[in-house]
Amino acid sequence: MENKNNPLSPHLQIYSWNVSSLLSITHRIVGVINIIAIIFICLWLILLSLGEPSHEFIQMFLKSFYGKFFTIALSWSFSFHILNEIRHLAWDMGYGFDLKTSQITGIITIFGSFILAILIYLFARNVI
Amino acid sequence: MVQFSLPQNSKILKGKYYKDKSGSNNLKKVNVYRWDPSTNENPRIDTFEVNMNECGPKVLDILFKIKNEIDSSLTFRRSCAHGVCGSCAMNVDGVNTLSCTKSHSDIRGDLNIYPLPHLKVVKDLVGDLATLYKQYESVEPWLKTKVGQKTNKEIKQSQEDRAKLDGYYECILCACCSTACPSYWWNGDKYLGPAVLLQAYRWINDSRDEDKKERLKKVADELKLYRCHTIMNCTNSCPKGLNPAKAIGSIKKMLATG
Repeated sequence: MENKNNPLSPHLQIYSWNVSSLLSITHRIVGVINIIAIIFICLWLILLSLGEPSHEFIQMFLKSFYGKFFTIALSWSFSFHILNEIRHLAWDMGYGFDLKTSQITGIITIFGSFILAILIYLFARNVI
Repeated sequence: MVQFSLPQNSKILKGKYYKDKSGSNNLKKVNVYRWDPSTNENPRIDTFEVNMNECGPKVLDILFKIKNEIDSSLTFRRSCAHGVCGSCAMNVDGVNTLSCTKSHSDIRGDLNIYPLPHLKVVKDLVGDLATLYKQYESVEPWLKTKVGQKTNKEIKQSQEDRAKLDGYYECILCACCSTACPSYWWNGDKYLGPAVLLQAYRWINDSRDEDKKERLKKVADELKLYRCHTIMNCTNSCPKGLNPAKAIGSIKKMLATG
């Protein structure tokens, strides 16, 4: 280009969202959160092996409001990641690229992740 | 490095407001991205009140009306006006499309028109697609055969093999898909983008071509191909109803299954 001062046309600022792009970015963010969460789960296991005092400390945290929020939020984030990863797996095998299909599987992923999170919660509470 | 916000010289300012002079009661407010290379000013959004009682059905008709009747300096690319040439690709109402095939009656409220996203703007709605054309050249979009060099006879193709090109040969390279792709926004210099990869697949998939292996090898690259994360913005925007995401998926599958 002759003129180096040419502006860049707007992109993120103006582009409208759809199911698949929204899920894609959520998938990435949730993936990062899950990796951090897995590190914490590992730390938790190490703490468990250290005996009663540390065990009680964890119990205290998990029974607090933040602890409950943390675990419920994680059961959603893992549910979402797993379901969307199934979608990606299907794509890798060459299925589900059709616009309608990808939209439907996307919506199923959104609702399914919440249902799965609730199921995990109920299962953990021994309700079911 | 990914830059989510626009650089300082690209920040969009409020522009002029062109009030309707016809006294029509059927007006549409049309917001158009403007940038004039002859000034040192930032881009701006001009708002035009357009009399819809005397306007054709497509978004391109609105642009013509503005250019003819309100502001003749408005710049945009167009040629065939029938969705065949791909010149008038732009961002209409947040989605890339051909303005000549997009009906403005589909859009409620004000109409927002921008150039294709994340391109260097040449003027107003015209973006610089030089990189994309270079990338297109890099996939060598022509038939490569050894047989063809020896004989003048036609290289035949069965109907089944020909049908494999359906959904790919129709691409008019309007660049709607590539400039809709966030991966292409952030890595446009290295990632080939949906339009070029669809074209690459079209040649890989051609039964007459004898360079399939080389073509696959050339495209199998962390940056060139695997920056596609199946965001599907490409397929969502394609004005010809093609599926670049599927083409890219097919290339990946070919590479994985050998």
